[in-house]
Amino acid sequence: MIQAEMVEATEFPELASRHGVSGVPQTTINDGKAHVVGAVPETNLLAEIQRVLAE
Amino acid sequence: MALLLNDDITQQIREVFDGLKNPVHIMFFGSEKNCAYCDETRQLAEEVAALSDLLSIEIYDMDADADLAVKYNIDKAPGLVIAAKEGEQVTDFGVRMAGIPSGHEFTSLIQDIVLVSNRDSGLNPQTREFLKDLDKPILLQVYVTPT
Repeated sequence: MIQAEMVEATEFPELASRHGVSGVPQTTINDGKAHVVGAVPETNLLAEIQRVLAE
Repeated sequence: MALLLNDDITQQIREVFDGLKNPVHIMFFGSEKNCAYCDETRQLAEEVAALSDLLSIEIYDMDADADLAVKYNIDKAPGLVIAAKEGEQVTDFGVRMAGIPSGHEFTSLIQDIVLVSNRDSGLNPQTREFLKDLDKPILLQVYVTPT
């Protein structure tokens, strides 16, 4: 059920701009439902995913 | 074209790949249209795939192989799918790369291959417990820059 994709921001500037990427790494969940900036611990990312699913 | 990986790097990757456990299948999707790094990414993926007997690679085009691109949810070129393979059966773990995996992300490519080969995500028990009951699709896109 999960797809995880590295996106090279300079090659896809429109996508990066749409998601307001200013610092890397930035993780975007479900095409903009949430953003996580930085290399965060696994539990933080999980919490964000759960928050998105609860919406 | 000259090789992208020099002897030192090749030797280091071979040492890492000595620990591979199961076959990994790389699917490369290129495009004829407006793709600055398709040639380099394809070459890089082919050079890496040649470094272990457990690795295979197939080259596709997003337009000519549109059905497959849709099946694997590839909408950007160059696109890579790092999948598992048992015999002829390809198993998708959802691991993708869009754009060239250079710089730090070259390490990510090698680590992705190792993860998929080991068939173990390395995630903690709490995360696994949550994922077991996940019934809605989640797309994680990690934006990076080639430094």
